[in-house]
Amino acid sequence: MIRQFVFLLLLTPLLAIAEPKSPINHPYAAAEPSPSPVEKTESPDQESRKVAESSILRVNSTNQAYDFFQPWLKKNPVSRRGVGALVQGGCVLVTAELVMNSNFVELEKATTAEKSSATVERVDYDCNLALLRPNDPGFLEGMKPLTLEKSLRVGNEATVLQLEPNGEIAQTIGQITTISVGSYPLENLGLLLYKLRVPLQQRDGSFTLPAVSDGRLVGLLMRFDARSQSAELISTPVIRHFLDSPAKARFPRMGIAFSALRDPQFRRFIGLTEPGGVYVNEVSPHGSAAEAGIKKGDVILALDGRAIDQDGNYEDPNFGRVLFTHLTHTVAQVGSELTFTIFRKGKLIKVPARLRAPDLSHVVSDAQLADQPPDYVVLGGFVFLELSRPYLQEWGNDWVNDAPKRLVYYDAFQNELPEDRGKIVILAQVLPVPETLGYESIRNLVVTQVNGRPVRSLVDLSEAAKKPLKGFHKIEFEEDPKTVFLDAASVEANQKALIERYSLPSLQRLKGKKSP
Amino acid sequence: MLRVPLFLFCVFFAVGLQAVEVAESLVRIEATSQEPNYKAPWSPGEVSAGVGAGFIVQGDRILTNAHVVSNASFLTVNKEGDPKPYAAKVLYVAHDCDLALLSVDRAEFFNGTTALELGDIPAIESMVSVYGYPIGGKRLSVTRGIVSRIDFQTYSHSGMDSHLTIQIDAAINPGNSGGPVMQKGKVVGVAFQGYSGDVAQNVGYMIPTPVVKRFFKDVEDGKYDRYVDLSLTFDNLFNPAARKALGLPADDVGVQVGTVYGGGPSDGIIRAGDVLMGIDGLRIASDGTIKLDGESVPLTEVVERKFKGESATLDILREGSSLQVKIPLSDPWPFALQSKAYDEKPQFVVFGGLVFQPVDKNFMDAYQPGNLRLDYLFDFFVEDGIYRDRPQLVVLSNILADAVNAYAKDFLFAVVDEINGQKIHRISDVASAFAKSSNYYVIQMLGIGRPLVLERKAVEEARSRILQRYGVTSEQYLKK
Repeated sequence: MIRQFVFLLLLTPLLAIAEPKSPINHPYAAAEPSPSPVEKTESPDQESRKVAESSILRVNSTNQAYDFFQPWLKKNPVSRRGVGALVQGGCVLVTAELVMNSNFVELEKATTAEKSSATVERVDYDCNLALLRPNDPGFLEGMKPLTLEKSLRVGNEATVLQLEPNGEIAQTIGQITTISVGSYPLENLGLLLYKLRVPLQQRDGSFTLPAVSDGRLVGLLMRFDARSQSAELISTPVIRHFLDSPAKARFPRMGIAFSALRDPQFRRFIGLTEPGGVYVNEVSPHGSAAEAGIKKGDVILALDGRAIDQDGNYEDPNFGRVLFTHLTHTVAQVGSELTFTIFRKGKLIKVPARLRAPDLSHVVSDAQLADQPPDYVVLGGFVFLELSRPYLQEWGNDWVNDAPKRLVYYDAFQNELPEDRGKIVILAQVLPVPETLGYESIRNLVVTQVNGRPVRSLVDLSEAAKKPLKGFHKIEFEEDPKTVFLDAASVEANQKALIERYSLPSLQRLKGKKSP
Repeated sequence: MLRVPLFLFCVFFAVGLQAVEVAESLVRIEATSQEPNYKAPWSPGEVSAGVGAGFIVQGDRILTNAHVVSNASFLTVNKEGDPKPYAAKVLYVAHDCDLALLSVDRAEFFNGTTALELGDIPAIESMVSVYGYPIGGKRLSVTRGIVSRIDFQTYSHSGMDSHLTIQIDAAINPGNSGGPVMQKGKVVGVAFQGYSGDVAQNVGYMIPTPVVKRFFKDVEDGKYDRYVDLSLTFDNLFNPAARKALGLPADDVGVQVGTVYGGGPSDGIIRAGDVLMGIDGLRIASDGTIKLDGESVPLTEVVERKFKGESATLDILREGSSLQVKIPLSDPWPFALQSKAYDEKPQFVVFGGLVFQPVDKNFMDAYQPGNLRLDYLFDFFVEDGIYRDRPQLVVLSNILADAVNAYAKDFLFAVVDEINGQKIHRISDVASAFAKSSNYYVIQMLGIGRPLVLERKAVEEARSRILQRYGVTSEQYLKK
C-alpha cells in the first residue's frame, strides 16, 4: 500500500495579539505524590521454586503476520519469548498473543535448556489462551502439571515467575489489587481479570508469565504497565473454562448491552421498587438473550437466584463482588441453561435462557483474523479486500483517528447496519497499470456494485467480475468517484503482465485459497 | 565594496518613494474583540485586543481582513503618522473570503488621504511590496518579494472556503493582515495568511483583486450575500475505458459528476453520473479545468465570479444524449455548519443543569469531544444527507453537576433524538419540549438504548441553585 502522507499545514491568520494573554507557566509544578514503597523483597519461596523447576517452561515463538496493505505478503518475522505453565493433559498453557500467527514454536526447560519444537494444539482469542504440545513425546517426562487456584481475594499475594537467561528463576511477589470483569485483548470480550501490583523487570520481551501461590497457578500474566507496576492476569476461572470446553468452542455470550440502574429518578420512572438490577439497553438479534425472549427495557434482577445489584454485581463465593456476566460468559458453558429474574412493565417474571456461542455469520467487520491469510481479489490493478479491524489497525496505534473515517465508522457501528449488509468490500488501493489510468489516487472506497450486481462479499465481487457489461467492468462505490470502468478485454489480456509487474503470487485468494 | 551600499540605496529609494504614497492610505486597526466561549455559552466571552492593517479605498471606506474585525466589540483606526485614534465600525464583512469594509464616523479622518486603486493579477515572478504592522508595531513596515504562485487555496478564516490566492515570498507576519500588497502604485492583493515558521518559510498569501472586486460588487446592493456554489463533486475522465463506456470521444473533454448535494442549487437538475461538458459556453477539460483569460483554472472559477440570483449554464451528457441545463445559484447551505462562524452568539439551552447546544465547527473546535458517533454525524453531515432529518445536531454538551443530574455522565456528547416523544430537529425544539409541563422529561439519545430521565420536581428544586452556583446568567439563547 502506498500510504499517503498528508502534512497538515497550520495556516494562521495574521492578526497580531497586542497584549499576549498567555500566563507564564507556574514554575513550581505540583509534585506528584510518589507511591509509598510497597515493593516486597524477593524472598526465596521454596514452594514456588519447586513449581518453577518442575512445571514451567520457556516458550520461544517466531511469528509472522500478514500485511493487510499487501495481503499477498507476510510482514517481517518477530520473535517472542514467554514462560508457559504445564497443565493437565501434557500441554503448556500460554497466551494466544504469544503464538499468534506463529511459524515456529519451541519449548525450553528452565534449568537444562533442553529444547523441543511444539505444535499449537488449541488457541482461543476470546480468552487470549493457547495450549502447546511438545513434538517430542517424552519431553515433559518427570515434570508436574500445575493445579488451578480456585478462589482469590483482593489483598492476596501471588508470585510471578520469570526465567533469567542463565536458567535462574526470578520470583517477584505482588499483591492482587482488583478482581473484576474487564476487557480481554483481541476480541474485547469482558471476562474475569485480576490486577496485580508487582515490581517486575523486563526479562523476556513478553509478559506471558505464570503467577503462582502455594504451588498452584493463580493466573497467567498478559499485560504489564511498567509505570504503574500493574499487571493484568488471565484469571483461573477463565483458564478453567478454556481447558474444560471442547476444541474450537467459543465463550458463550448473552448478546445484550446493559447499564447500571443507580439513578433514583430513572428507577421511579420505570416503576421499579425492587432493589438492584440492571437495565437492558440493547438485545442483539441472534444472541442467547434474544432467543430467550429478553427484551430491550427489561431489568435483570437476579440470575439463578443470585441477586444482582444496581451495578450488575453479585456476591461470588470465591471472588467477592463480581459482574454477573462472569456467570454467563465463564462459569457457564455453551449449552448451559440459566434462569433470569426479570422486571418487565411492572411485573416480575422468570426467563430461562440457553447460552449460545456468538453467531459469527452476521459479523460485518472481523475483530481479528489471526493465523489465516487474508482474502483479496486483484482486478486489473484494483486491489479489493473485506473490511476488518486488522486492516484498520495497519494505520498504527492511533488508527481510530488515522484510518479512513468512513471505514472506522463502519467498523464501530457495524451492529447498526441492516442485517443483510454482509461484508464491506473495499477498493483498498490501485496498483497502477495502463487499464487504471486516471484512477491511480483512489483508495479505501466502499464497493456497492460490480457489473450491476450488488457486492456483499469478495466472493460476490469475484463472481460479478466474470460477467462484464458490454466489454467493461463497471465498479460502483459509495463515495466519489461513484463509478469507474475497466476495459474487460484489456484486463484479461494483461493479467500476466500485472502479476509480473507487481510480483503477485496470484490474483485472488478466497476463503484462504489461492486461484490464478 | 562600493556596489553593495549603492544597491541598498537604490532599493531604499525606490521603496521610499512608494512608501510615502502608500502611507497616505495605510490604516492601523486596533480591535477589541470578545470571542464567545462555547463551553460557557451564556458568558459574553473574554476580551482581547489585536492589531491589523487596512487601507483606504474609494468611497471613504477602509478595506481589511474579516479576521481583523471578527467578534469585535470596539474598533479604532489610526492613519499612518497621525497619533489620533478614530472610532470605526464594520460596514460589511465577508467571512467566506476574509474581507471587510469599515467606515469611520468622523469624516475628517479621510482628510489628506488617498484612496488606493485596485490593479490586476500580477505576473509570476514580478516584484510586490507588502505594507502593514507586523508583530504589532506602531509604525509602517514594508517588505518586498515576488509572486511565487497563483492557485486556489483554503481560506483559513472560515476553514471551508477556497478561492483564488496568490503566494508571495515577502515576509508576512501577524499584524500584516489586511495590509495592501502593491505593484506599480496599485493594489494587487490584500495580505491575509501565512504559515507558522516551523512549517514553511517565505510563504505568504494575499487575496487577489478578482476576489476583492467580487466583494465590492456583492455589497453594492447594501448587503453581503456570500459566495454561490454548484454543490456537487466531479471526477476526472482520463480513463479510456470510462470514456468509451460513457460514449465519449477520446478528446479530453468532460468530467463526471460524483455527488449532487441535496438542498444545493444543482439538486434535482444534475444527476450523479452526468458528464459535464461545458459551463457558460466554455469547454471543460477532462481534469475539470477551463480556459479563462488565457489561464487554466478550475471550472468552479466561473461560479466564483457570480452572485446570488444569477445562474450558470451547463452542457451535460446524460445517458448518451446532450442537454443544456440552467442552475439558479443560491446559498451553499448546509456547508455553512462546517465553517467557522464569527459575530454570532452560541445557541444553547440549560435545563436541570444539562447544557444542550447545536453542533457546528466552533462547537467541535471548543470541546473536541472525541466521541466517535458525534464525529461521524459531523463529518458526514453533508455527504450522508444527515442534515435532511436534522438541520441541527443537538448534543448534551456539558453537565453543571448537581444532585438532579448526578447520573447523566454516560450521556455526555450524545445527540438528542427525542424529548418526551418529540423529535429534535434543532435547538429550538429542545427549548419547546422542556417548556411543556410534564412529570418526567424523557430524553432519548441517538444510539443509546436507555433514555435520560429527569423529574420535573427535581429540576424545579435545582433550578435557582444551579444558576447561582455556576453563574449562569441566562438559561437559553436561540437566535441565529
